[in-house]
Amino acid sequence: MGHSYRAVGWNRQKRVYDLALIAGIVLYLATFVGVGFTLHPGATAETMLIRALGTGAFLLLHLVLAIGPLCRVDSRFLPLLYNRRHLGVATFVLGLLHGGFALVQFHALGDLNPLVSVFVSNPRVDSVAQFPFQPLGVIALVILFLMAATSHDFWLANLTAPVWKSLHMLVYLAYLLLVGHVSLGVLQAETSPVLAGAVGIGMAGLLALHLLAGASEVAVDRGRDAATGAAGSAAGHSSLGLSSLREEDSAFVDVCAVSEIDEKRARLVSVAGDRVAVFRYDGKFSAVSNACQHQNGPLGEGCVIDGLITCPWHGYQYRPLDGASPEPFTEKVPTFRVQIRSGRVLIDPTPLPAGTPVEPALIGEGASDG
Amino acid sequence: MLVTIVEGGLVALGVYLAAGVLFAVPFLLNGAGRIDQDAAGGSRGFKLLVFPGVVALWPLLVGPWRRSRQRTERSPHRDAAIAGDRR
Ligand code: HEM
Ligand code: FES
Repeated sequence: MGHSYRAVGWNRQKRVYDLALIAGIVLYLATFVGVGFTLHPGATAETMLIRALGTGAFLLLHLVLAIGPLCRVDSRFLPLLYNRRHLGVATFVLGLLHGGFALVQFHALGDLNPLVSVFVSNPRVDSVAQFPFQPLGVIALVILFLMAATSHDFWLANLTAPVWKSLHMLVYLAYLLLVGHVSLGVLQAETSPVLAGAVGIGMAGLLALHLLAGASEVAVDRGRDAATGAAGSAAGHSSLGLSSLREEDSAFVDVCAVSEIDEKRARLVSVAGDRVAVFRYDGKFSAVSNACQHQNGPLGEGCVIDGLITCPWHGYQYRPLDGASPEPFTEKVPTFRVQIRSGRVLIDPTPLPAGTPVEPALIGEGASDG
Repeated sequence: MLVTIVEGGLVALGVYLAAGVLFAVPFLLNGAGRIDQDAAGGSRGFKLLVFPGVVALWPLLVGPWRRSRQRTERSPHRDAAIAGDRR
């Protein structure tokens, strides 16, 4: 955020995250090798390590791809999202070790340069069972490298966001290449069908998660109509409700009941073609545009920490009052006016310029009105 | 035949990456700070971390660096201001 770059913006949360990640990886590799030798006492250590690293990388890639939709579906997964780029880098490192060992193991013994050998040995493109699966792994590894190498904020700023985004969308291509690499490789190695089954389950799971998350996104965007409908029925219960309010200030739109927003959390509403995050904190309500200035992270899925709205993706922070990052940072997001009437939260759908201070609405003031 | 093609490709890749290394060193010592203020005071760890990316994607950085060179001149005051900003 608007200050000199460092390698990693360390904080306690990231250290804990990375320690857990490393411990998880080590535990996985040890378990895989241990169980592997129990089942196949005759296997060589190299083969076991290559397989442990390959499956470890592939599993991590599943996690990387699942986190986004998981968080959309259930906010309890947010802590996973916070440092996702370290997961991506870890995936690359495991993939690199796997590929590197495989090159040494299977290609370094002949006269050919191992890098040439990967591409030219076994070139039976016409046969599924003999298809050269290893070049698929090499291409996927190159994609994982490009993503890991450009994960620092410097790249987002200097490749420009659209280029950076398309580069990182290649992760889906890498995933498909790896599905090919693993299934075709297994076909040739004739290992147990367990791995092939696991790949299928992984694919089905990822697909289902993405569809589910897509559906809940659509639900949020339709949420405004739903919220207005709820307000209508609320007005039906109390005759002093929304009808009188409409006369006073027709510009404001209903978001939800005061009680529907948890302390330090937000509720999303779709207005003016985009989402607004309405936060509740210390009995006050403030609304800001939902998109983080950093990488369009969903601010409304974050919470208020130390009085600041904190983006769930990489922790950029904004004051609820004016949508501006505290000094020395310079990021700002648009703000919205908020009111409380009859125990309901309302916002003015007109976005104010990024960084415009807005009086927060207080719970107390709405009660007397109702 | 196939071997020749693949070998040729690898040689080309090697030349490309070697050029990337030659580009990356002065770029990270000087150019990065010119195209992005935040990189001017970047730590050594930062430079090390972005180095592989610069080697791989250097053609994308040539343009911005060249444009930035024409705009800002170095002067003792500017350098001092950047150094002050780092603290
Ligand atoms: C330079 C790139 C790569 C090469 C040369 C390569 C090579 C190989 C080889 C030779 C096998 C068969 C191992 C065996 O059956 O004993 C294999 C399997 C596998 N690879 Fe790769 N690979 C590469 C990249 C990757 C990457 C990037 C990933 C994942 C992120 C990956 C994931 C896997 C998996 C999950 C298996 C199946 C493991 C098993 O056979 O039990 N590979 N790879
Ligand atoms: S902090 Fe990165 S998107 Fe918000």
